[in-house]
Amino acid sequence: MDSMDSSVASPDLGLALGFPFWVASRRRFKPDDPFFASGNLERELLAKHVALDLTEDERFQLQRMEIADANLFCPIAGCGARLEYLEEFEDHYNTRHMASCSVCFRVYPTSRLLSIHISEVHDSFFQAKVARGFPMYECLVEGCGAKLKSYKSRQRHLIDKHRFPSNFEFYKKAHPSKHQRQKLQRKAYKGGDAKDQESFMDLDAKKESKQTRPKHYRPKQEVKTGTERESEMEVETKLHHPQTTETKVVTNSEAKNEKAKAETEMEVEERIEDIVSGISKLSTVDASSPSSVSFGHRHSRGFAFVPRSVRNQNQISKREQTRKP
Amino acid sequence: MASEDTSPSHSHHRDSIKSSVGNTAANRRRQQAISIGKERREALIRAKRLCRDSIFDDDDNEKGLDEGEMVIDEEQSVLNARTAQTVQELKSSLSYQGKDATQKTIEALRALRKLLSKSEVPPIEAAIQGGAVPLLVQCLSFGSADEQLLEAAWCVTNIAAGGPEETKSLLPALPLLIAHLGEKSSVHVAEQCAWALGNVAGEDMELRSILFAQGALLSLTRLMLSNRESTARTAAWALSNLIKGPDPKAANELIRIEAITDTIVKHLKTADEELVTEVAWVVVYLSALSDKAISILVRSDVVPVLVNRLVGSESLQLLIPVLRSLGNLVAADAYITHSILIVGNDITDQVLYGLIKCLKSEHRVLKKEALWVLSNIAAGTLEHKTLIFSSEAVPLLIDLLSAAPFEIRKEAAYTLGNICVGPTKGSDNKSDIIVTHLVPLVKGGCLPGFVNLVRSADVESARVGLIFLELVMRGYPNGEGPKLVEREDGIDAMERFQFHENQEMRNVANALVDKYFGADYGV
Repeated sequence: MDSMDSSVASPDLGLALGFPFWVASRRRFKPDDPFFASGNLERELLAKHVALDLTEDERFQLQRMEIADANLFCPIAGCGARLEYLEEFEDHYNTRHMASCSVCFRVYPTSRLLSIHISEVHDSFFQAKVARGFPMYECLVEGCGAKLKSYKSRQRHLIDKHRFPSNFEFYKKAHPSKHQRQKLQRKAYKGGDAKDQESFMDLDAKKESKQTRPKHYRPKQEVKTGTERESEMEVETKLHHPQTTETKVVTNSEAKNEKAKAETEMEVEERIEDIVSGISKLSTVDASSPSSVSFGHRHSRGFAFVPRSVRNQNQISKREQTRKP
Repeated sequence: MASEDTSPSHSHHRDSIKSSVGNTAANRRRQQAISIGKERREALIRAKRLCRDSIFDDDDNEKGLDEGEMVIDEEQSVLNARTAQTVQELKSSLSYQGKDATQKTIEALRALRKLLSKSEVPPIEAAIQGGAVPLLVQCLSFGSADEQLLEAAWCVTNIAAGGPEETKSLLPALPLLIAHLGEKSSVHVAEQCAWALGNVAGEDMELRSILFAQGALLSLTRLMLSNRESTARTAAWALSNLIKGPDPKAANELIRIEAITDTIVKHLKTADEELVTEVAWVVVYLSALSDKAISILVRSDVVPVLVNRLVGSESLQLLIPVLRSLGNLVAADAYITHSILIVGNDITDQVLYGLIKCLKSEHRVLKKEALWVLSNIAAGTLEHKTLIFSSEAVPLLIDLLSAAPFEIRKEAAYTLGNICVGPTKGSDNKSDIIVTHLVPLVKGGCLPGFVNLVRSADVESARVGLIFLELVMRGYPNGEGPKLVEREDGIDAMERFQFHENQEMRNVANALVDKYFGADYGV
């Protein structure tokens, strides 16, 4: 039935098996194909004059029951939730699979993956431990429990032990466009400006896929020392906002960042000595505590750490941002 | 177990029922919460038809007696008891050797028949358990009086309207039923037997095979030639149940019968829409199962006649099989789009008109299946694509893609995509993109609908959506495709696949995102 299963080799898209480009071809169905089920049902109902006796409710239920037989399940890996009907999926997705990081706006389908992300990307403490050789990179598969020493070796583990595809990247780059969009939104109101947060504490120490990320969103790859980071952040700031006159960073968030810098710079060494896993999450200023996670509301990203005064001003733009479902 | 459950929420009555009874049933329904049990639902969708009224509405004085009959509205247990008793009476009348044996038998049969046809829930199980089947077989023996045959066949008809076990219990009766289809039989008897056989065939492939082996096909076909419309109708319906497969052997055998195509054409042209409907279903199964049939049918008058009916009829019941027949024919054989539905021919405009009419209707089935046919036509020549593109179908298509129930949206997607993709391939082995169609369609607002499909939980829909987005990103002029897709939150939609359980979808979506929204995007 599928008209498009003849994949065409496509080196430019980098797919080993080829890409299933659209081919306009006829589709044929066998008489007992589910495609014809509703028509068959209609035939029987009409023939038995039952249509006259069926109420709207009953009719509706009959149709539903047909579709329900189709056994719908949520296709997000590891979820398997039963969906009563297809239209339900969007709601289900928004409720269950929209754990989003308030720092970098990445979205994850489970809170566990989100918290792994937050640790690995936004937690300087995590990086410090990595630097000292602790195996910190958790296996992404729930229940496995393995911890690896580097992103790369964790990747290897996923591919070898759990048969992940070799092109799977946990750290998919966020799209410039998304950030750009949100930046533009935030520019639309005066006062608070949280956009710098994303560039500051983002300790993206991960290996990149073959493409390099656009500079203005990501600092470089290796773990840096405090001073290096500081200077880089400054450089970034300059690159970021060549015309920062009206969009200057608000005093209190700047202060926050200053404090953060100081902390990480000077206190990292001390922190490492007090190893309590819970503390590691609290030591960074920005992102990692679970209370920052926003569920089910796509567009509340980025506002969790903005001071309340600024946040109130944000409300308008937040509403504007909300897409129609 | 009776084919319908005893819930009072439904009455199967047809028009002969007095109004007071109807109201009571309606009241009961209103007062109780309606929920359709699995059993009831199965009864509703079964391809069986209970025979409630006499098949002949001519002068027969027996009809007069029946007409005064109220619906038997009793407790199931009382009904069952009465049934058992009636079967006993039948038994004793059959062993009776006296002068009035036949009359007694007929009366007993009639009583049983009434229980099985006038009750809201026919006491089929009770009849079988009471031992009715062997008695009925006996009643069907050759040389029996017509009236006896008729009543017996009617009883069998309604028993065969039950569930699988009940229907299978009728195996001993089958050869007799087939035999009585013969041209020497009274036409009423033949018709009633055809009805019974239709119910048996409607059960499952196993029974269909048995009936086929016993020679039911030829006899039913001959009956379909009858001048009596009700007979032809019943025979056609029974035939459709017999050939519906999934084993194609009956369909293949049917098309080999010499006069069959002419008969079909003749019946498709009649004024009696019910007859047209049943015969159209025969065409549905012929075209779905037998390639030989397709080849013969497309070269006959069947296609023009079907198109006529598509355009001319407003009856949902008729349009469904007519549309589907055309759909099956178009889907199976390029001959139709290339030799019959040539752009420029009148018939082609007619088909398009008919399909658009279905798109505009409020019936889900018509919309969905018309879209399917349209998508297959759009998979034809460049002229076909242009024809559809320039017709009033396009705004309808975009609208359906955005707002209709999901299964309709998917079909609309296939149609729109097929319009944008040429029949030829370029040197890169990818189908040519028809930019002159793609651009207006995107400008016409089709992208949100496709992005929405990408978000679907149904893998096939998501795939269709993704593949179309690829077309846009690759083929939209001036490299504007990616931007347009992004504007509709296409990136979000594609990124969802990162954690999708389907590997192919993950790969496809990731590949697209990497290629079109990579490092140098937006700089």
